[in-house]
Order: sequence, then C-alpha cells, then structure tokens
Amino acid sequence: MRAHEPSRASAAYRLQGGRSPYAFIAPFLLLFAVFFVLPTLASVALALYRWNGAGAPEWVGFSNFRHLLSDPVFWQVARNTAFYTLASVTVLIPLGLVTALGLNSHALRFRGFWRSIYFTPVVVSAAATSLVFQILLSRDAGLLNGVLGLLGLGPVPWLQSRSWAKVGVFMVVAWRSLPLLAVYFLAGLQAIPQELQEAAMTDGAGAVKRFWHITLPLLRPVVLFVLVLVTLNSIQLFDEVQILTEGGPANASATVMQYLYSRGFERLRFGFASSVAALLFGAALSVALVEARALGGLRDDREV
Amino acid sequence: MSSPAKNRIGQLSLNMAVAVGGVITLVPLVWMVFSSFKTTTEIFRYPPWLMPQELSLSNYESLLAGFPFARWYLNSIFYSAVVTLAVPLLCSLAGYAFAKLEFRGRRALFLLVLTSIVIPFQVVLTPMFILMSRIGWVDTPFAMTVPWVAPVLGIFLMRQYAYAVPTELLEAARIDGASEFRIYWQIVLPLLRSGLAALAIIQFLSSWNSYIWPLMVLRGQESMTLPVGLAGMQAQAAGTATPYGEMMAGATLSSLPVIALFLAAQRYLIAGLTEGARTRRSIRSLGRVR
Repeated sequence: MRAHEPSRASAAYRLQGGRSPYAFIAPFLLLFAVFFVLPTLASVALALYRWNGAGAPEWVGFSNFRHLLSDPVFWQVARNTAFYTLASVTVLIPLGLVTALGLNSHALRFRGFWRSIYFTPVVVSAAATSLVFQILLSRDAGLLNGVLGLLGLGPVPWLQSRSWAKVGVFMVVAWRSLPLLAVYFLAGLQAIPQELQEAAMTDGAGAVKRFWHITLPLLRPVVLFVLVLVTLNSIQLFDEVQILTEGGPANASATVMQYLYSRGFERLRFGFASSVAALLFGAALSVALVEARALGGLRDDREV
Repeated sequence: MSSPAKNRIGQLSLNMAVAVGGVITLVPLVWMVFSSFKTTTEIFRYPPWLMPQELSLSNYESLLAGFPFARWYLNSIFYSAVVTLAVPLLCSLAGYAFAKLEFRGRRALFLLVLTSIVIPFQVVLTPMFILMSRIGWVDTPFAMTVPWVAPVLGIFLMRQYAYAVPTELLEAARIDGASEFRIYWQIVLPLLRSGLAALAIIQFLSSWNSYIWPLMVLRGQESMTLPVGLAGMQAQAAGTATPYGEMMAGATLSSLPVIALFLAAQRYLIAGLTEGARTRRSIRSLGRVR
C-alpha cells in the first residue's frame, strides 16, 4: 500500500498541460457525463413523475413517495433490508477482523496457502454461489441439515419458511463477503508498524491488551471504511436473494432493491422506481454519515 | 508472561481454527464441482455425501446440448474482455492527467468525479435502462459494455498510482521533444503496470459476475451471460424438474476462469482492492482535493 506513496519532491508539482489534458480526460468525461451524471439527474426528476416509458411523463409531485410510504410491502422489505444490514455489521465485521488477525498471525503455518483459500469466494459469482447454496441449504437433503442431524437438530427449512429465509440468505451473503472484509482488515493490519507491537511486548503488554490499545485504534480508518462498505452493500442487496428465494416466501426475505426491481421495473413504473431509489440513496447516505461521525468522534476523544 | 506450553496450545488452536474456517470456505466450491458429476437423485440423497458414485460427464453433455451454454460463455468472455481492455486505458489516460498535469478546471472536474462515488448504482439503474431503450441498445452488446468502461473507481485508482510517477521524468521527456501522447504511452503507462493489472482484474471480475444489469437489458436466450443464463435455468425449467446437475456443471465451468485468474494474479487483485479502499477513504477529505 505504501509502496505507491510518491516522494514529496516528485509528486508535489504538476506539468503545465496546455491542451493535451483535455484530450486525455475527454473520453472518460464524455462517458461519465452520458452514463452517470445524466441518469443521476434524470433519476431525481423522474421520482416526481408518473411514466411507463411511452408517451409524456405526467407530473405527480410527491405522490410516488406517498404511495411508497403507505405500502405495507415496502415496510416489510425495508425491515428485511435493515435485518441484513444489522446482521452484516454486527456479525461480519467482528468475524472479518478475527479472520484477518488469524491470517496475519506469525504462529500460523502455511499462511500464503490459507490466505488463498480464504479469499477464493470473492471471485465466484453470486449466481454460482447461490445455486450451490440452494443445494447445501435444502431442507431434506442439504449438507447443513445433514450435519445438524448428526447433532440431533433440525431439519431447518432454511429457504422455505418465513422465519428462516432471511437467515438462510444471510449465510450465503456471509460466505461471499466475509473474505473481502478480511482482505481489507489484513491490509490494515499489515500497515501497522511491527516496532509498535514489539515495544508494547517489551513493556509486558499481553496479546489482548495490545489488541485493544494498539491494533484497534490504529485500525480505525479501515474499520470505518469496512463499516461503510458493508452498510452500502447490504442496503443494495439483490443478487443472492433474487436467485435463492426470489424474496419469498411471501416477501419474507425480499429486499428494497428487489422491490425496486419488481414494482418499478418489471411493471414499467419508472417514476415509482426512481422514488424508491431516491429513498434508498437517502437512507444509505445518512447511515454512512452517521457511521463516519461515530467513528470520527472516537478519534477526537482519543487524541485530545 | 506465558509459558512455552501455553504458547504451544495457543498456536495449535489458532492453526486448527484457521483450518476449520478454511474447510467451511472450501466446502461449497468442492460441493459444486462434485455435484456436477452427480444425477439429481444423487445430489439430493440423504444423508448427503460428497463423493459422486461415478464420474459421469452426462450433466456436462446435456448442459451443452440442452442449453445455449457455449453461447453464454462466449458472450461473457466478449463483454468482459471489452471492459477489461477499455477501462484501464481510459482510466489511466484521465487518471494520469488528473495526477500530473495542470489545466484549467482540473479541481472542479475532479470534485465532480469524487462526489459521484457516493451515488450508488441503483439510483442510475432506471434512467439508464430508459436511455438504453431510447437509443435502441436493449439486448445488444453495446448495453453490456459502453456504459461500463468509465468507472469512477478506475479514475481514483489510476490517479493514485500515477502520483508515484516522478514528474522530473516527464519533464525530461518533454525537453527531448516527445509528444504528450508519447510521454503517456511510453513513459507513464509502463510505470502504471501493477495498477493497470489490478484495475483490469477488478473490472474483469465485476463484469464476469454482474447480475442485475444483464438481467434488465438482455432479453434473448442467445445474448445472455453466464450468471443470468445459469440462474435462469431454474425458472426456465418450471413444470419439469429443476436441472440441478446441469446447473452445477455450468456453475463449475463459469467459476473456473475466475478462480484460475485469482490464483495467478492474487497479488495484483489484493493490492488493487486495498488501494481502492484508500481512495474511497479519502472522500472524507473532500475539501482538501489537491
């Protein structure tokens, strides 16, 4: 990570570019404007219209939002999404950190080998993963229930019951995203100067004390990044649920993103879909800001 | 102070815990591969058993015969290849300009790009689809490639890597009379190698694995990509039995290239991911854009 840090002298100044910089950024900027800026602005406007793609859009003001907020299904999917987000934050982040600590430990043998193994799920598609887990989580013949059966438990209808479907989906999400979080934490751990740990060791600080007083405070920026990443990803959850349960049974596992897709897109209610997107964006942004503030606040306490 | 014996126990349990986690990580992938050789009855036999009774290739045969799987594969390769080649090129051009060249409007333009990173994908999803249908790109390769060759993350990544290029080197090349494009092509680009590799891999993966966008813009069976094609196999077979064996064969074949790529280029991928993390963290310093 630090290898790319330029020496101050060579990075601090730029060449006078003349006209060539514009030619260099033009292709990117053009595509960025057409396929990102324009759709974003359109999305904001569209939320205030009713439009199915044909004919002229009809101005409806905030009626899309009123309609949305009075739909019980929306509240159901919002609660489900909150569940996935909360579960990810409280379970995956500590677990990801623990995984990274394990993979970073000098007491671990074959470290390179284990790291490769642990990171493999990151590259496998949500589609392939979800299809395999459909088999692994099947009620009557799935591996998980087979193992639980040996302990005299189950069988649990992981994907079929209203109360378990969310848990089943979350396990798949966990399997896919935990390694990615561990990658980030591992990079953060490796950036901590070894001398600090050694100095604390000489002072007689035990492993637990070193973790709380050295590792964790120095890891704070990484924790913040991972926290925001996990939050945003779970608020946008779609692929796994769509393939595993299609949001069922009876919307028990459906997410806001699926709601946007089915209510807005499949039924061609583009204005309505945009209002869902706007609300989702607002929620994501505020949660991320709150998280950033919370962790930033921690710093002020510490460094005063 | 811990005694050597206590140390040994700690060491042992750490190694055991990591091994258990490793097994949990691998089981689904191994299960996928082994299931691809089983019949549906064998996949769902109870109690579950990992090894297939015989190594039958019949799932692979019926996958290729009964579904346009080869076509999906070619589509995925084509879309991902275009994105993988175009993104590093476009982003390194712009990232280099933002990092090393001074021009009017540089700060403002970069701020615009920087701000946009907080806007999630679903905000643009609907208008983007409308745009696609307006310009007649639905169910065409254009929809799968053109909108995705200028990701904001790529600009950040390339700008970050381009900082490390010594400006003196560029100055010297200028004095020697090299054209601006030649400086980029012959001096900057080779120095960005590891960044380009990281970006290319990240883009390849996200293109190869993307699901919701192809689900929206691709219509015909013949134009599907691997993820939507595979996931569609369960819906398609409504009425008849879900072809689990074929699906596992397809999932295995579709995962092979990405796993091979990962094992070969792990170093670049992880470097790129962590560098990306750093640039996103720098959002907090919005006011201090250089």
